Amino acid sequence: MIDTLATALMMSTPLLYGAISEMFTERSGVMNTSIEGAFLMGAFGGFVGAYISGSLLIGFIFAIISGVLLTFIYGIVTVKYKQHQVVTGTALNILALGLATFLFRVIFGIPVIPLKVTPLQTIAIPLLSKIPFVGPIFFDQNLLTYIMYFIVPASFYVLYKTSYGLIIRSTGENPEAVDVAGVDVNRVRITMLLIAGAFCGIAGAFYSLTILGLFTSSIIGGRGWIAFAICFLGNWRPYGVLFGALAFGLAEAIGIRFMVMEGMVIPNEFFIALPYILTIILTITRNSFNIPAKLGVPYNKE
Amino acid sequence: MINQIKTKFSDPDFKDLVVTNVVAIIAGILISGIMLLLIKINPIEAFSVATASVMSDKYTFAEILVKATPLIFTGLAFAFTYKANLFNIGAQGQFYIGTIVAVAISLSIGDVVPGFIGIIVVMALTIVAGAIYGGLIGLVKAKKGANEFLISMMSTYVAIAFMNFLLRTSLRETRGEYPQTDVIPESMRLPIIWGGTRLHLGFILAVLTAVTLWLILFKTPFGFRVRAVGNNASAAVQAGINSSKTTIITFAISGAMGALAGFLVVNGIQYMVIQGYYAEVGALGIGIAILANGNPIGVIFAALLFGGIQVIGIEMTMRAKTPTSFTYLMLGCVTLFVIISYYFRRVMKINRDKKKLVDGVSK
Amino acid sequence: MKKVIELKNISKYFAKVIANKDVSFDLHEGEVLALLGENGAGKSTIMKILYGLYHQDEGKILINGEETRIDSPKDAMKYGISMIQQHFSLVEAHTVTENIILGHVKGNIDVNECTNKIKELSDKYGFNLNPNSIIRDLSVGERQKVEILKALFQNTEILIMDEPTAVLTPQEITNLMKFIKDFVKGGNSVVFISHKLNEVMEVADNIVIMRNGELVGNVKKTETDEKKLANLMVGRELNQTPTKSISHVVENENVLDMTNVTCVDRDGIKVLNNLSLTVRKGEIFGIAGVSGNGQQELCEAISGVRELVDGKITLLNEDIGSLSVYERIKAGIGYVPSNRHRDAMISDMTIAENMFLKSSFENKWLAGKLIDKEKLNSYTNNKIRDFSIKAHGPDAKAGGLSGGNQQKVILAREVDNGSKLIVLDQPTRGLDLGAINHVHKSIVRESKNGKGILLVSTELSEIFGLCDRIGVIYQGELQGIYSPDELTPEKVGLLMAGWKEEVR
Repeated sequence: MIDTLATALMMSTPLLYGAISEMFTERSGVMNTSIEGAFLMGAFGGFVGAYISGSLLIGFIFAIISGVLLTFIYGIVTVKYKQHQVVTGTALNILALGLATFLFRVIFGIPVIPLKVTPLQTIAIPLLSKIPFVGPIFFDQNLLTYIMYFIVPASFYVLYKTSYGLIIRSTGENPEAVDVAGVDVNRVRITMLLIAGAFCGIAGAFYSLTILGLFTSSIIGGRGWIAFAICFLGNWRPYGVLFGALAFGLAEAIGIRFMVMEGMVIPNEFFIALPYILTIILTITRNSFNIPAKLGVPYNKE
Repeated sequence: MINQIKTKFSDPDFKDLVVTNVVAIIAGILISGIMLLLIKINPIEAFSVATASVMSDKYTFAEILVKATPLIFTGLAFAFTYKANLFNIGAQGQFYIGTIVAVAISLSIGDVVPGFIGIIVVMALTIVAGAIYGGLIGLVKAKKGANEFLISMMSTYVAIAFMNFLLRTSLRETRGEYPQTDVIPESMRLPIIWGGTRLHLGFILAVLTAVTLWLILFKTPFGFRVRAVGNNASAAVQAGINSSKTTIITFAISGAMGALAGFLVVNGIQYMVIQGYYAEVGALGIGIAILANGNPIGVIFAALLFGGIQVIGIEMTMRAKTPTSFTYLMLGCVTLFVIISYYFRRVMKINRDKKKLVDGVSK
Repeated sequence: MKKVIELKNISKYFAKVIANKDVSFDLHEGEVLALLGENGAGKSTIMKILYGLYHQDEGKILINGEETRIDSPKDAMKYGISMIQQHFSLVEAHTVTENIILGHVKGNIDVNECTNKIKELSDKYGFNLNPNSIIRDLSVGERQKVEILKALFQNTEILIMDEPTAVLTPQEITNLMKFIKDFVKGGNSVVFISHKLNEVMEVADNIVIMRNGELVGNVKKTETDEKKLANLMVGRELNQTPTKSISHVVENENVLDMTNVTCVDRDGIKVLNNLSLTVRKGEIFGIAGVSGNGQQELCEAISGVRELVDGKITLLNEDIGSLSVYERIKAGIGYVPSNRHRDAMISDMTIAENMFLKSSFENKWLAGKLIDKEKLNSYTNNKIRDFSIKAHGPDAKAGGLSGGNQQKVILAREVDNGSKLIVLDQPTRGLDLGAINHVHKSIVRESKNGKGILLVSTELSEIFGLCDRIGVIYQGELQGIYSPDELTPEKVGLLMAGWKEEVR
């Protein structure tokens, strides 16, 4: 039980990084549909950096660079060239798949045994981790999960209490108002995408450097899209996103737990599909949406 | 005919379309080719070896058409909704639904019903299953205003989980070794139309379907309504067009296309379902539809191009030792450049109009 | 007076139109400069260039005598320039405060401090606004005050207002004029963009007149009058207001009969309230009012896009209240909506396809299962000829036509669809005079053919000139139904602003 909950928290970490970044870009009016590719680039870049340097820190820096590279291209094509976001995202996701696997081969050739790095370890926080029940769940985690605890309140603060947060929210609602106020709409949107690239890079590297310690081309397996969906489910609000990420993390943890149990009545695949089914049901049944008014619409002056 | 083509090309918009697309395709292949230098493979050599092999060997050449066949269908799946300004990015899931239905029905009726009728039944049921799976997305879009992009994406993962469940349980091969099905009986296989190759009847079916969809879209009132809803939903509603009905039917047709791709893979090529095969067929369909600008006839040519790139990629792997991932690199680059070319086409058009205007003033 | 802004030989080309050609004029300290011209004359464009939203293709801008590059609104603000767009640029989901401080505060937002500052500013000018209101809940007049406060918050010295009175009631207009006069007393300047002669004559010191993107006059108010301005603005003697010919007969049979019709918007607020009217055969019934008072909803209730909450609509004594849009088109209702780009045409399709738009369910255009292209093209060609639409054929894209020609395409279609009743919502808005004449003639012709016409317009001259009876609408209710000789423009103005006669 405690194990499952701790795993749930860990599994929700990358989803939250991705979903929070998606929330910020969507609040500024752009969907980051290259999110799956950005996760993959992060997983790839992170592994390469960490394997070559032997340092996880450098790995994560590489992951950030790889993610940003992809969302930068995405930003140029969708924001500057105003091309369709869904379509561009699809192309970049194919490209990311090709690029990551191709470069992996370029760098490592065809290894005889799978290459591995030592994954990010958990750090038990003295005293706190000794609290019964709560301790092992919340305070025996890895560094990135600890950082996650701060991301949500920080996001809330930035979005609602700062001048730039107001600009971000306004850009998604009415970019013309932002333009007339003397702020460059496209710059705001591209900035959000670059930040999203960094977050998605870390999220992707979380799979290669924290959960598994290795890289395969199927390592992300649709989790970028889960983060994308969580942003919708969280109704574009930081605490909603947190709730969504925790729910999906829990579902994933239960799935892992049932995989190792024999003779289950409910098939394991059901738990794998559950988050997706829930997303569909929630999208259909919810009435009030906080969706940014100009989400997905490029800003045209003339 | 030649005159017709000439008049088409005298339209600067059409000329731009062809020229920019060709440039984008070449640029995409060129850039990915340069990356081969990283692993010390001479791209020109690799390309020429592969091309020579495609040209000299009819089996390999026919493989282009074979690869293009399911891609035409997934391309159509995206293109048809695209014209209605809807986004069905769930063709991958509809494809898997199609494979499951095709394999399950083929296995169960294969020995009972005569082949010809059996194949028709399988195809009909696949269409129905795909139309329902896709139509449901249209239904929630039309009735609940749900985001069809998100729902179709999620529906793919549900389909994958469902398929994996079946491959682990009731559809699992009799040997019980791998997560894959048994092979369907010979009577249920689509006839080969070119001896000595794997080219099957499905290719003809794909071309005919594309032409039919083109006719529907551009020559019938229903297709007109699809495009009207896509171009300006508000004006369509004011014109008495029931946009929810149009949306649902459009999605049903789109879903049927995705599922048909699955039927052709099962009954035309693979004769079975293997876990996780053809994992990119949906995404490539989107790239194909974009390259064709959503035009069903254009989808045929775009799918042939993508099929060609795939076969060249395979040949390069076999004969020049390029990595298999190189194919995706090429496809990704080509698609990306094609998208970017849309932008340059727009800039060219604006500049042309502007020039006309300024010239008009100075005269 | 000191020159603060000098515009020198500015030209701006868009893809399809020349927006400005060689425009030069100056703005002085402490003056109200009116930019007068018809729709599409290029008034907004030249000011958007000054405000940095567009960049000129030729020419230069001098500020306080020095050549200056203005690349973005940020640059313009540096020089104390603010512009209020015709369609306000406010974030509807945000509060007044959030809209005003957008982009103008740094780092953390101290909401209380900002709110107090805005409250003070608002009280100083007697605006009476609550800084914590959400924009969505405000009236148009209040939204304009928010826009003005936005400019004042930045200590603007040069305020550009694009058609500020278009959506205001006469009383609100008076208040706005008062504000402008106060504002320039302190040495500030105002550019007042308008196409309304009387307002320009009331408020301006100097008047710049534009036509087709070019400057055609720059005069002092004291040296001109409305008639001279009008001639400059349209380039020839003003047309007489259209009048109906005498042979026109209104029959006693009702085409359209609306009884106690009530409709609500998405939030359940009444947009049409207990509205009743009749349109007779051969009659042109006018609806006058400030735009946004339920006109569009009224038309939509008839066309079937908007559901009735209460009341009854009949067409030639047949109840059509529960019919679908398509069934109503079939019953003979034609509708020319006010927003033609959004509601009436598909820009990316050809003229022929747009002609087909409302009859896609009918068999008359079919050859077998397919659309009979030849038949449709020859029909379209006839329409192009009859309505003198300037286009190179039925295959021309509708989006490539000028506004007037687009409107003719829609009119040509709706005249045929509306075999019994034609509803026209602002059919001449944004058109040039030639096209306006054409629309007026078509309206009169169709009424002579015995059709009922419902004409919604904010142009009083149009209403007075064409209509047999006039209903004045205010907040979804009819203030009364009058014959043209019972009304004076002053009385209509009062009715439009909400004043109601006690007994009638």
